[in-house]
Amino acid sequence: MKKSFLFVTGLLLILAMVLSACQAAPATEAPVVKPEQPVATEAPVVATEAPVATEAPAAKATTNIVHYYSGDLGLKDMQEIITQFNAQSAACEIKDNTTGHEDFKTQILVMLAGDNPPDVFSYWAGARVQFVVDSDALMELSDFWAEEGFDDIVVAGIQGAKDYNGGVYAIPQNYHFTGMFYNPKTLAAAGVTETPTNWDEFIAAGEKLIAAGVTPIALGSKDRWPAQYYFDYFLGYTAGNEYREKFQAGEGSWTDPEVVRAIEYWKELIDKGFFVADANAYTYTDAADMVANGQAGMTLMGTWVTGYWDGNGLVAGEDYDLFPFPTIEPSIPAATYATVDAWAIPVDAANPDCAKEFVAWALTPEMQALWAKGQGALAASAEVDTSIYNVVTKKANDLIAGGTKWAAGYDLSTTPPNAEVGLNLFAQLMNDASQYMTYLEDAQVQSAEVFGK
Amino acid sequence: MTEHTEHQVQPVNPPKKRKGISARRIFLYLIIPLVAFVYIVPAIGVILTSFKLDAEIAESGLWSIPRIIHFDNYEEIWVDANVRTYMKNSALVTIPATAISIMLGVLMGYVFSKLPFKGSELLFIFVLAGMFFPPQIVLVPLFKFYNTVNLYDTLWPMIITHCGFGLPICTLIMRNFFSSVPMAIREAAIIDGASEFDVLTRIMLPVSLPALAVLATLQFTWIWNDFLYPIIFTQSDEMRTIMVGLITMKGQYRVAYGAQGAMAVVASIPTLLIFIFFQRYFIKGMTMGAVKG
Amino acid sequence: MIRNRRKWTFLFSIIPLTVYVVIVIIPLLSSFYYSFTDWNGFRQTYNFVGLDNFAKVFSDKLFANAIKNTLIWMIAALILPVGGGLILALMLNEEIRGAKFYKSLFYLPICLSLAVVGQVWIWIYMPNWGLINTVLRALQLDSLTLAWLANPDTALVAVIIAWSWSQIGLSMVIFLAGLTSIPTELTEAAEVDGASYLKVLRHIVVPLLSPATTVVIALMIINSLKSFDVVYMMTQGGPFHTTDTLAMFMFNETFKKYYMGYGSAIAVVLFMIAMIIIIIYFRQVRKLEHLYD
Repeated sequence: MKKSFLFVTGLLLILAMVLSACQAAPATEAPVVKPEQPVATEAPVVATEAPVATEAPAAKATTNIVHYYSGDLGLKDMQEIITQFNAQSAACEIKDNTTGHEDFKTQILVMLAGDNPPDVFSYWAGARVQFVVDSDALMELSDFWAEEGFDDIVVAGIQGAKDYNGGVYAIPQNYHFTGMFYNPKTLAAAGVTETPTNWDEFIAAGEKLIAAGVTPIALGSKDRWPAQYYFDYFLGYTAGNEYREKFQAGEGSWTDPEVVRAIEYWKELIDKGFFVADANAYTYTDAADMVANGQAGMTLMGTWVTGYWDGNGLVAGEDYDLFPFPTIEPSIPAATYATVDAWAIPVDAANPDCAKEFVAWALTPEMQALWAKGQGALAASAEVDTSIYNVVTKKANDLIAGGTKWAAGYDLSTTPPNAEVGLNLFAQLMNDASQYMTYLEDAQVQSAEVFGK
Repeated sequence: MTEHTEHQVQPVNPPKKRKGISARRIFLYLIIPLVAFVYIVPAIGVILTSFKLDAEIAESGLWSIPRIIHFDNYEEIWVDANVRTYMKNSALVTIPATAISIMLGVLMGYVFSKLPFKGSELLFIFVLAGMFFPPQIVLVPLFKFYNTVNLYDTLWPMIITHCGFGLPICTLIMRNFFSSVPMAIREAAIIDGASEFDVLTRIMLPVSLPALAVLATLQFTWIWNDFLYPIIFTQSDEMRTIMVGLITMKGQYRVAYGAQGAMAVVASIPTLLIFIFFQRYFIKGMTMGAVKG
Repeated sequence: MIRNRRKWTFLFSIIPLTVYVVIVIIPLLSSFYYSFTDWNGFRQTYNFVGLDNFAKVFSDKLFANAIKNTLIWMIAALILPVGGGLILALMLNEEIRGAKFYKSLFYLPICLSLAVVGQVWIWIYMPNWGLINTVLRALQLDSLTLAWLANPDTALVAVIIAWSWSQIGLSMVIFLAGLTSIPTELTEAAEVDGASYLKVLRHIVVPLLSPATTVVIALMIINSLKSFDVVYMMTQGGPFHTTDTLAMFMFNETFKKYYMGYGSAIAVVLFMIAMIIIIIYFRQVRKLEHLYD
């Protein structure tokens, strides 16, 4: 009994020492309690000025950047761009902050809501930027755009990504073309030698694949967004882009005949067994794997999928290739659905000059080439030598350079709350398409509420 | 005793000497390893994955036995200087936050159990209420606060926040533990001229080692594994913790299962060590304190 | 003496309470405040909308859905981690070889971050190469294979099972602690009287375990009310809201739809529900304490 008591007290002494050592640390540097006292009264007050975290020592001004390029390649290349920028800039020092793709959305909202915005951040051009612009949180950049001569630099097809409410608020960094990526070997084995260009050819090709025992389309809609591209093309290619724009802005209805028809095209594919089973269980990379290993023929995806395949050692042109989504109504002109990653500068940025200097740097041909090579992305700068692309990304580049109208995908072209409504609808559709009218009616109730109708 | 009754009448705590072979014991010897195996399969999955290359995973899935054990993922993590920084930051957050939150719980628990005053019960409920509040919703106010006091993008926000949100559970467990020590002991010491501080440090704490071990284990595990606060309250790489590193590995357009698996294994080692270290006090502590409600 | 006592009460509680008020209470009050506004988070200005957000809470089908899911979660939590933990504790409380090893093994999942737990269970539920379906196919039960996380009928249960896996160890440890505090004489006496194992369990062990049971139940209810991390990692509330818990729903409304005001209102309602539960819990504990005094 005594022995164990001694043992226990001994251990306690050690623990107490550890505890006090740990406590000593905060006491010396920054008192834990002290700064909180005055704040107790201050906290509810909305701070007007964003405090700058660090004063720049001497010459170089610290510039905070927040971006979502966090993957294997994206992160490394962005860091390379930043390092090179810091080496050549006389006045600015960029501090890099990366976040996972999903967590980025939370982080950027908290930073802007909490009055401590970064100096520059990556964002998705389209309705996302529009939303922040409408909240008066972004800096207008038309002078900067003109000064740098971006009109002549940025690819003509995606210049629309800069305009919001008559001003310039986003500078494109790169874009991703959305198209049908397929496995040429699988298609050839099933007897599909020519890629389909219209709806009948598309259906015929799919049926050939099914006859050969291959599911025509791989879709991994676990994270919901991969499914939306079908809606983009079905609606855009049957009702036309003008209607689609209105619809995305909340001026249409989910029960409009145009939308119902688009969904019925989609349903036709589902009913014909064109899609892999349990699409909602897979991620888009799972779907990409299915195409790569021949289980499925093709997948509708952005050009980033080529980055994934390249990383797994697939060869462009041999193991995967690309064709544009087939036209449905011959009278309706094709549009280019592409995701544009852009830079935005908060209106309260502490150091907007350095932010601009960095954006200009990121758009130099050298940096753009470095960036496009790694990401499987297409460079926003038209000055980039197209020899950096492989056969497939070159094809995508030529398609958009052809001058069709740029449009953002579904969730990036409608307000964030309404995006949720559609994304859920698409997931429901992929789960069981037979009830599609019920889903559409439900969705309309929710959308009406979002748009305050 | 017939075999039949023996089978039915196993005591819950059989005395050491009486180790008969009964059907129930045989059943236990068969069933426990089986349950344990099924139970541990998910953890094995993580370990298997960490030894595979991404291409192999893309090809044959995660549950196949690796053809060759690749250490590439661990190597990648080992050479990545960031991972070392992340681990260091995690330790710098978790150890002080665990220690301080427990100390605050000790103080509060002592007040509630040995120095009750009018309204102290109500205050106790008020303190416990924090346990029920989902922390996601206070991210913006907290962010504003740390911004105002210039602590944004340091390790302090995580330490302070975990102290605040950890206070309810620490107070609850310490109060219950202290309550099991008779009030008379405190009174006798006070009459002998001891201060409340003496009573706390010389009488109460020495007997509450188990409770401290319980809290140390729980708090350490929760704080170490938290990823929400560091994502929001830090932005530079030098301030990130290992959990953020783990989550950030999920790329924008890429997945790196293998490296993620290796990172998960590495990130779990400290919490495992803590449990093994505190285990025996832990079980004892649960018996004496926490359990009293 | 009384003054001394007051002085110590004050000294002991000032720091913990300050931290608690600044970190938990003030942000909480500010989300009460935002719940009366239409703030979207990005804009620096907002309008007061009175009780509109609360009116919306009670008419929102999705909110009702989240309440339903959280209730299911709570009930499942009482069956899986509480029941499962109890069974494991009873088995491991027997004197069998390697009991210590098994205890650590069952505790292991707690050491893993829920970020890791979520990921590994995604791999288990995968319809093509996932573990469950692979095993089912090997057993020639192809008809039973499902897309567990994508099927709206199974997704919620699948997520709850993954969560339970990470919680069972905790409740097991607490029950084990409770079991060791039951005097062996009691169960032995019953055994001599010829009571069956199940009878001993029902009439002696379970009643005497009730302090431990209250703790486990309280912990599990708290954790199910706050269940977020694992849903966030596995489904983000999908497919189409079938795994929306209250915390997840609130997070999505706030950070995906940018309804900061509405999200705050949900948090307030969630807090109210928690307060009701905490009061019921306290009554129960009070009853128990009377029982033991």
